[in-house]
Amino acid sequence: MSKSEFDRRDFLKVMGVSGVAATVAGCDMPSYITSEEGAEEVIPYLSPEEYVIPGVGVWYASTCLQCPAGCGIRGRVREGRVLKLEGNPTMSLNSGKLCQMGQSALQSHYNPDRLTTPLMRKDGALAEATWEDALALMEEKTGPSSGISGHRFAWYTGSVSGHQNVLLKAHLEAMGSSNHFVHEVINTRVWQAVCKEMLGQSMPTLRIDKAGLVLSFGADFLGTWMSPIQFSAQYAAFRSGDERGMLIQAEPSMSLTGANADLWVAVRPGTEGIMALGLANVLIHKERMDASVLPPETQELIARYNVSITSRITGIAGDRLIRIARHLKNRSPSLVLAGGPAAGHTTGFEAVQAAMMLNILLGNVGETIEANADFAFPQLAALGGGTTDLNRFAHAAGSGQLDALFFDGSNPLFGAPDHMNLNEKFDAIPFKVAFSTFMDETTARADVVLPIASAIEDWGTHVAAYQNEQHEIAFQQPLMEPIHPLTRSFGDLLLALNAMRSPGTYDEIDDYYGYLQSALGAIPGVLKGEDAAEDDPLDIQLWNQILQDGRLEVPAETSLFTTSVSIKDITSPPTDEAFPYYLVPTPRSSLYDGRHANLPWLQEAPDQISKVVWTSWAEIHPVTASKLGLEEGDLIRITSASGVLEVPVYIFKGIHTDVVCVPMGQGHTEYGRYAKGRGVNPLKILDPGEDTRTGELALYGTRVGLAAAGRAGRMVKMGNTESQHGRKIVATITAEQQRRNEGES
Amino acid sequence: MAEETTTIAAKDIDEKIAWAKINSDVLRSMENPRMGYWLAIGVSIAMLMVGIYSEVYQYNTGMGPANLNNPHMWDLYISTFVFWIGMSHSGTLLSAILHLFHADWRKPIYRFAEAMTTFSLMTALIFPIIHLGRVWNMHWVIPYYSDRGIWPNFRSPLVWDAFAITAYLTASVLFLYIGMIPDLAICRDNAVGWRRRLYTFMSIGWRGDDRQWRNFRKTYLLMACFLIPLAVSVHSIVAADFAMAIMPGWHVTSFPPYFVAGALYSGCAAIITLFVLLRYFFKFEQYMTLPILEKTCKLTFAIAMVWSYLNLIEFASVWYGHDIPAKEVLIAKFSGPYSPFFLGMLFCGSVLPFTLAFKKIRRSPWLLLPISIFLNVGMWLERYMIVAPTLSLSHHPWTWDVMWPGWVEWGIVFGSFGWFGLLFLIFVKVFPSVSMYEVKEMVYHRRRVIFEDAELRAHEVKTGASGAQPLTSTPEGS
Amino acid sequence: MSLVRNFIEDWSRYRRSINEGGFHEYEHMWGMVIDLDKCTGCNACSVACYAENNLAVVGEEKFESGQGMHWLRVERYWDEPNIGNERVRDTQEHGGSFMPMMCQQCNSATCEPVCPVAAAYHTPDGLNAQIYNRCVGSRYCANNCPYRLRYFNFYSYYEDSWPSPLDMQLNPDITVRDKGVMEKCTFCVQRIRSAKNTAKMENREVADGDFQTACQQTCPTTAIVFGDLLDHDSEVHKLWHKFQTKLGTTKQKKDNPELRGYRLYEQLNTEPSVTYLERVRDV
Repeated sequence: MSKSEFDRRDFLKVMGVSGVAATVAGCDMPSYITSEEGAEEVIPYLSPEEYVIPGVGVWYASTCLQCPAGCGIRGRVREGRVLKLEGNPTMSLNSGKLCQMGQSALQSHYNPDRLTTPLMRKDGALAEATWEDALALMEEKTGPSSGISGHRFAWYTGSVSGHQNVLLKAHLEAMGSSNHFVHEVINTRVWQAVCKEMLGQSMPTLRIDKAGLVLSFGADFLGTWMSPIQFSAQYAAFRSGDERGMLIQAEPSMSLTGANADLWVAVRPGTEGIMALGLANVLIHKERMDASVLPPETQELIARYNVSITSRITGIAGDRLIRIARHLKNRSPSLVLAGGPAAGHTTGFEAVQAAMMLNILLGNVGETIEANADFAFPQLAALGGGTTDLNRFAHAAGSGQLDALFFDGSNPLFGAPDHMNLNEKFDAIPFKVAFSTFMDETTARADVVLPIASAIEDWGTHVAAYQNEQHEIAFQQPLMEPIHPLTRSFGDLLLALNAMRSPGTYDEIDDYYGYLQSALGAIPGVLKGEDAAEDDPLDIQLWNQILQDGRLEVPAETSLFTTSVSIKDITSPPTDEAFPYYLVPTPRSSLYDGRHANLPWLQEAPDQISKVVWTSWAEIHPVTASKLGLEEGDLIRITSASGVLEVPVYIFKGIHTDVVCVPMGQGHTEYGRYAKGRGVNPLKILDPGEDTRTGELALYGTRVGLAAAGRAGRMVKMGNTESQHGRKIVATITAEQQRRNEGES
Repeated sequence: MAEETTTIAAKDIDEKIAWAKINSDVLRSMENPRMGYWLAIGVSIAMLMVGIYSEVYQYNTGMGPANLNNPHMWDLYISTFVFWIGMSHSGTLLSAILHLFHADWRKPIYRFAEAMTTFSLMTALIFPIIHLGRVWNMHWVIPYYSDRGIWPNFRSPLVWDAFAITAYLTASVLFLYIGMIPDLAICRDNAVGWRRRLYTFMSIGWRGDDRQWRNFRKTYLLMACFLIPLAVSVHSIVAADFAMAIMPGWHVTSFPPYFVAGALYSGCAAIITLFVLLRYFFKFEQYMTLPILEKTCKLTFAIAMVWSYLNLIEFASVWYGHDIPAKEVLIAKFSGPYSPFFLGMLFCGSVLPFTLAFKKIRRSPWLLLPISIFLNVGMWLERYMIVAPTLSLSHHPWTWDVMWPGWVEWGIVFGSFGWFGLLFLIFVKVFPSVSMYEVKEMVYHRRRVIFEDAELRAHEVKTGASGAQPLTSTPEGS
Repeated sequence: MSLVRNFIEDWSRYRRSINEGGFHEYEHMWGMVIDLDKCTGCNACSVACYAENNLAVVGEEKFESGQGMHWLRVERYWDEPNIGNERVRDTQEHGGSFMPMMCQQCNSATCEPVCPVAAAYHTPDGLNAQIYNRCVGSRYCANNCPYRLRYFNFYSYYEDSWPSPLDMQLNPDITVRDKGVMEKCTFCVQRIRSAKNTAKMENREVADGDFQTACQQTCPTTAIVFGDLLDHDSEVHKLWHKFQTKLGTTKQKKDNPELRGYRLYEQLNTEPSVTYLERVRDV
């Protein structure tokens, strides 16, 4: 592909309009703030720049990169500024909806703490530098003449997909390395591994909307699990169908999904799998379900977990187990999910397996779990991250195997537990380059810091890890010009790095935009006709259409499931005298894994469960609280074998009595004015331990001791009551009543 | 000896006081301020400065430092406003109402009570203004013709407030001034320098001739009649600020009379305080006599009982009603975080006045001083307990919140006492704080009574008749 | 004479309008339905509101003092008084009860009559409007709001809520409020205005779905439905009709008392324009 005919800038203005012109406001100032100086500039009405019509908002489609779900967004642009993000209705992933993290992407873009110039380490401190110097140093250290090659070089990123992934791979290939660490604290790797093993596909389509009952072992599918916005839409259909679906959530501490459950069950951490086995036992032996789909060994294993044993291990009353099993049988098709709290143990894989076994036993596979296809272009498919890579990285860095490290989109030094000693190991790497928008914990320890464009200023293609039956490539296009003139597109930098290492390959390509266009042009039937010759021009109409839609649908050929069940026994966690409690570092759909702690909207958005703002808190059960003599807001001291936290407590009954839950996200030591020095980071005191099958960190397996710190902490909370005081505020009726009145309408 | 004391004490005023002595005593009080006076002025100015500083700070920063927040949009400002409005009812009660009832004992004390009315109104007026978030737009509350044809919202009790207070302030200033004209003439005749020029100007040519006295009497009577409904309405309207709202604990029909009773109560208590202080500092023992004090105390006691009764009515109507939030507010007042204040208010307002049932106490000024101050503390607490707990606990539990006022609010409340004190201190040195001509009337009347008494006794002795009619009718005029 | 005639005409129109529910002369009657069974309490609506309406982020200290500016707050209760679950026993079996609360746009609003300068008034669209320019900050309206959904600018929040370049995000269609002004949810009045303008230019009536409020647009479960109650084809009208909630009453008369629609504190006769559909739990 030759040079693109359009200047990027003009292109943005002319082509990407998604047709919805909004807002004619009469009395607005016909002026806008130029980003460079903050000076006001008058736009003449007579000959306005194209698509900068004062007072007229124009919508451009793009992709949200706030979490790996990859929802489509549309940004309202007026006078050259992007003002508001909405979901992109043409994206089948989120069909026009957006969560609070997506809404806040604007604040990540306009953040006052953005990195604006390249920085280089001089005399131990980061100092401002020019791009030329920074790139020259990178060339010196990692260029062809540096002598570095092979596995001594590594990339460390968050989840990547699309052409970014292609270029990263190309760069790694050019370096001769295969060290690509993909780090994502909140992930579904265990789920994927189990699906792969038991169904033959790692990402089957989940149909909550078709289910009559959803039993979720800690899968927070309304908050952070996999593709929450899509699942929320399914949840709405699930709740409002002719027969309202029932949601049962079993988890150690209440998640957002748990807060919406019809029946919420507090389960002892690490025993979710045993609960699943116990349910299978009831289904087979009490409810007389046909167990022939399960192999005899599995049936034997299930037979061991009768109601009383399961009840003893999990702490769930026997009659409740029987009730849940009965519901599972009666409300077919059901859907059993398992998320972080079930998977985050050394036996996590087995626990998720047990949950999946329930799906097979109940005949949900093929009903509410539908077969999906592999992504048609494997090179573009999502490279989902996990914590395995964090472990691998710690090991590689600790044993001096790395000479140079480039990292982007991930903050391992925030997410790594203290026991890994990652700070020191990281410092031991001789050359570290951060491609970063913010000065986070990891960036602060880099040798070269390259300020990259925000997600709203950049081009890109993204492929969500979880796709429904419609597979699509999501397009990211700039919604406005870069605010900070010295920032550069990550894609452009990748191209430059590739050109540096393998000169000549990318000569014909101007920039990342041109690269995207030519790369897509190379796929037959996308930008050209199926039988077009190689040097035929691109169909710009089609390209424009893709940008307007923000998506490109790609064919998906559904393959069939290959079911196999072979379940191992699950050892429930032993009792621990020194550390009798369990630490649950739960993710929340606001600060997520901590990456959104610098966004004031999300800091001030009350947590869904505790309604706390701006700080960390620990959730405990009133029984635990009274045992420890704690009142709401008092500081609690949480001691694990690896560290200590002191944090104010929030007391409520949506938590197991042996559990303390500290949401992750706060506790930054860097990361700008809104994040720095707020709250605590529960990930820091995690004990070593990983899932034996996938190598994912056992995030939920840490045992802790609790004590009152003896003084009150500061916990700012919205609302001063938890109770409706007998008023009809949120009125509740029973599903029975609702069925009677609305069932068949 | 004991017999002697009782007879003297039973008299409101000694009939043997010479008229010249009255003049000289009162005029003396206006001269030669002593060290203590300047000290008091200094303290008042310092307090006022604290208030001004707080207000300037608030003007520049916003209402935030006052610790106002979402449920507590009003707090000390409005409760202190109601408190000062309440204080202003004393003068009207003493001069207008008792004037119409021909209660002569009011005469030596009504002047400073009226001054107190005016000054507490002027203090009260500050609060609705400074409590506005945008003080600089306060004139929008007043109806005036503007090009845009925008008027205030006549449905809003706050607009009624603006009307009522300005009307009441105007009327009470006029009433104070008119009642002072004959005395100003006396001052004029005894003053030199700037004082003479001031009094000459203010006494508008008073010579004390018959026509002037007749017109004066009529005007004074008319003003008194005019002021009484105004005084009742002004506090009823202040009560409407709350009673018109939908909030539990405010939405009470009995609020207007309750507020008026509370106002008279705090006014009477303030009169006792100032009575004791003026009597001591200006050596007015001969005019502000203990029998008058005793009568004031009896009046205060009566009003306290009315107030307590209305309080009970409110509790009962809430308790037996079906307004659950209102009941919750009432229960919270008794048991919640505000209970010390609420119980304190009940103690000060309903228990403490029973001390006034004892003659010993009624006649000992130095006991009455702290008692009267505590009565007013109770009345201030009453206003605070009307405003704050309702806002803390309204209909919607999610926003329930207990809030304590911020320093700016305390600063301004503190400053308001300085402002009131300053105005009052200036008044007592510039204007006669005891009405000379009315004391003379009183003395004259007393002489006549004694004379007629003696006549009657002589008659009784002569005829041996008993059970004669006491002569209490007073001739009009002096 | 004309004065008297005008008065009589006004009065008779007023009397007539009461019989007809009081709203017959309205161009629109914007209303909302929030399905509490679909609402997951995810808070997206609230943040969308911050983004759309230039809501100030006040910071930890001021939030602690109760001076936050969340026009739309998602409340969360743990008890369920309506199904006799006044006190939660040992676990939170039925999850939480979430309640998105924005200005209920009452049709006999308690905030309107008490404003001394008529800054709170009722538009012919059935909205409770708040005129920022006119507001003097007496805060009486907020005191008289039983829902406590009015927010006061206790400080000049703009001074430190949007350090540059965060201020570039501010929506130019609406103002940034200064200290001393009361503000509240407007049902995204700027979007209403722009939709009306567009419709006017295209010579038609505003149709259902021409625009959405920010909270409705982002709601992942579509729990919020917004529209014109006078438009009989609108989704919101259909829902009000289906659940038999009506304006002009303090107690809904329903054929079936178990139908889910209710308005918050309608016994106070505030006539809110927001109908909530009861939360459902399988117990």
